[in-house]
Amino acid sequence: MELVKYLKSADLKSWLQELARENRVFAPRNEGDSVIFAPFDPEQEIAIVHPATLPPKKTVFPQSEKLVDFTYSKDPENLSRIMIDGKEVLPEGTAVVFGGRPCDVRGFTMFDRVYLAEKSTDIYYQARRENTTFITLACEKPETTCFCHWVDSGPTDATGSDVLATVVDGGYVLEALSDKGSKLLTSTLLENGESRKDEARKAHEKAAELLQDAPDLSGAPKKVLQVFDTMEFWEEAAAKCLSCGACAYLCPSCYCFNITDETIGMKGTRIRSWDNCMSAQFTMEASGHNPRPTKAHRLRNRVGHKFSYYPDIHDGVISCCGCGRCIKSCPVGTDIREIVLQAIEYEPAVGEEQADEQ
Amino acid sequence: MNNKNLYLPEMATINEVIEETANIMTFRVILNNPDAMENFSFEPGQVGQLSSFGTGEATFVINSPPTRKEYLQFSVMRAGEVTSKLHSLKPGDQVGVRAPLGNYFPYEDMKGKDILFIGGGIGMAPLRTLLLYMLDNRKDYGKITLLYGARSPVDMAFNYEVSSWLERDDLETHLTIDAEFEGWPHTVGLIPNVLLDIAPSPENCVAVTCGPPIMIKFTLQALEKLGFTDEQIVTTLEKRMKCGVGLCGRCNIGTSYVCMDGPVFTYAQLKELPNEL
Amino acid sequence: MKFQEELKDSIRKALPDLDVVLGWCGSFDPLHATPHFIRREEDIDKLEISPLSVHNLATYLPGLRGKKVGIVVKGCDSRSVVELLQENLINREDITIFGFPCTGVVDQAKIKKALGHAGNVRTCDISDSAIVIQTEDKAHSLTLTQMLADKCRTCRYPDAIISDYFVGDKIGEPAPLETDYAALEAFESLSVPERFGYWLKELDRCIRCYACRSACPLCVCRDHCAAESRDPHWLSQENNVRDKVMFQVIHAYHMAGRCTECGECQRACPVDIPVLMLKQKMNREIRDIFQYEAGVDPEATPPLLSFNMEEENITEKEW
Repeated sequence: MELVKYLKSADLKSWLQELARENRVFAPRNEGDSVIFAPFDPEQEIAIVHPATLPPKKTVFPQSEKLVDFTYSKDPENLSRIMIDGKEVLPEGTAVVFGGRPCDVRGFTMFDRVYLAEKSTDIYYQARRENTTFITLACEKPETTCFCHWVDSGPTDATGSDVLATVVDGGYVLEALSDKGSKLLTSTLLENGESRKDEARKAHEKAAELLQDAPDLSGAPKKVLQVFDTMEFWEEAAAKCLSCGACAYLCPSCYCFNITDETIGMKGTRIRSWDNCMSAQFTMEASGHNPRPTKAHRLRNRVGHKFSYYPDIHDGVISCCGCGRCIKSCPVGTDIREIVLQAIEYEPAVGEEQADEQ
Repeated sequence: MNNKNLYLPEMATINEVIEETANIMTFRVILNNPDAMENFSFEPGQVGQLSSFGTGEATFVINSPPTRKEYLQFSVMRAGEVTSKLHSLKPGDQVGVRAPLGNYFPYEDMKGKDILFIGGGIGMAPLRTLLLYMLDNRKDYGKITLLYGARSPVDMAFNYEVSSWLERDDLETHLTIDAEFEGWPHTVGLIPNVLLDIAPSPENCVAVTCGPPIMIKFTLQALEKLGFTDEQIVTTLEKRMKCGVGLCGRCNIGTSYVCMDGPVFTYAQLKELPNEL
Repeated sequence: MKFQEELKDSIRKALPDLDVVLGWCGSFDPLHATPHFIRREEDIDKLEISPLSVHNLATYLPGLRGKKVGIVVKGCDSRSVVELLQENLINREDITIFGFPCTGVVDQAKIKKALGHAGNVRTCDISDSAIVIQTEDKAHSLTLTQMLADKCRTCRYPDAIISDYFVGDKIGEPAPLETDYAALEAFESLSVPERFGYWLKELDRCIRCYACRSACPLCVCRDHCAAESRDPHWLSQENNVRDKVMFQVIHAYHMAGRCTECGECQRACPVDIPVLMLKQKMNREIRDIFQYEAGVDPEATPPLLSFNMEEENITEKEW
């Protein structure tokens, strides 16, 4: 049975405090001029009026996490021999993330297809994903950089979320969307929300009305691949790119990482940390050969992965949730929408056949 | 879904270190857990992540054949941080092994066919595993020819085995070096040119090749000239890898992940992929 | 801008001999501009110069070495060009510089703060004194001088220091709206634990995207940066605030006496960390010790790129 509750705005903090007794609770808050997801602190204001600067990606895919702890020790039988003991470090505990937007949380569904795949399940990701409950806040209006509706989503799309929260007069309508979500909606602070459902639905309709027409991206996978060898296209698209990692680290669906060993004395940790395909060193081989030697090659991979390779492998799903952070926070205003549309519209000059030389 | 930890290596002990050339060392390692060693199975062409804890991991082909199970062999050319560290290790030292990873040579499909191996430098390592496997199952294959080239005699890995390969009458071995070298009794010349001289017949034959990019480029041209079709040419690729399980995002060529869908590809498959080697 | 057409004419004249001219044009909303790479005649029309032309285009020059490049510069940007020339990181004969009298560029962070939120800007009209921004529900009229970047409020070089083409009338030496390093001095009056606590708090949210480094015109180590180097292993890749502080300290030291305080590091930061102050600290020390200012004299050698047996203001042997 569908579970709908109503929470008064004034009770939000108390409710999150209740949830924090058994879970790590993350909520967006102001840090400097940015809004980031941080462990909930009742002393601080929750900043949910506008989408956060950073998505809550780190709650399931931390900026860095331990994979294996290792220690060196001397073999008592043979003191010149160093023994190494490696132990896996798995994440523990449950978490609740409050205040992510539909795009933010939908990003995890793009991780899921890769990280929870049958043939290579990432148990670190799996542990956090299964133990994290998302209370997602429906969007009321799009920003200039928003384009979730271009990529088969929308301001109230609850894909990947456990509870959808909608702002209504005086509070929030909370709709449970999963068992995990239902289990969260048991507090006595919550009232029955059935009578408020209409109000929430109207808010959803209003949000949908505010969207402008979306271009058809169904041709993107083929078209983006078609311009693969047209280096001029990518050189122009990447000309202003600084090759930093802001777009990837702000992206709810970018999931590339690095693995490094960090040691202090006789102890060390093999960690996984965020990495990004815009970094020159990402694919640099020890020989000095780099299959993606310029920022044009790297941007081609980033756009190609999201709008062509990933959908090709995963039932046509574009690996971009349209949050627009890569546009809004790019130091030089690189607009991925523009690049994809240009690829779709690209007409090779007459006689320009793609010389394929492998 | 399964609960295997993709990132936790099996600890292993280096049993033997063979100094192949000035910059290539071969490590024979035995997994510390006897059950894991006993049950370890892989296919020729699969790779493994070899790690020195504190420095990191790097990818190498398991170049011992699956038919010889007393140890796992990896040949390591010194190039970066991890390989330099590995080169400092001695018998008894501990390493981590995550293996097997990736796909393998289609040795079943090759049954009943003639096989032409063309290896350049360290590129001989992945061919060795398949070659030894085929020699251990000799009757399943037709004529086997090996063309192995290195810059000079001192750059030739597996020297100690090469002499026994030369002696076999069920294996035709051609050795070549790039330039004249005093006392070198074999061919002198670049691999693609020597290949054209040997001119093996493409009839019912599969060519398996691995080596540096420039050698591969011209070897493919030579094979084409000899009449080999794209489907008859098999190669194995190398890319920078971290996870080895299709997640970290480094080794993809378009939709194909070298760590999962490769490292073994036919030339026909490679031509289908975007040009980003 | 009054001189915009004149500038377009100059570019039109020079373009046939150049591979590209770097300027600015409109971006994803009316409040933002974006770097514009002019390659063809028809690209010239899109050029827009305004207080939104915030990006320091000199950042692109080292990457375009070997090409014939035209660049439109604000006064502060021209200092980066000068510094790049001083360090032989670009060739003067390959660069064609277009200067204009700059009256200051905005600080997007200040505008965002003034509006409360800048995600729904519909129109943006900028006059000599005001910025009028229409959001979906309201028109905001902001005083331009208050929205200017801090560097503009202390600016002494509004006209390009070097240029091949200069359009418009030079401003000369203006009276700065604020004194140099006032904010830095206020910060320095805090205790050491307070200051360190401040950086630990601010840098905690750093995501290590290194936009600060990538946007810096003088950060030219590129593939060999201490941030990612494994051998030597300067920094851990862990999400650890001390490593983040360490990187900023390395960066600041590396920029000492080279940094022209263009502020791109801070502007580029997606999480608004005030990293420019660290470079200002270094620069003020350099100014006090060497009486040197980076990027104002193409013939000068930056003090830390040269060596004197005895430095006038460094007394190592106090005993």
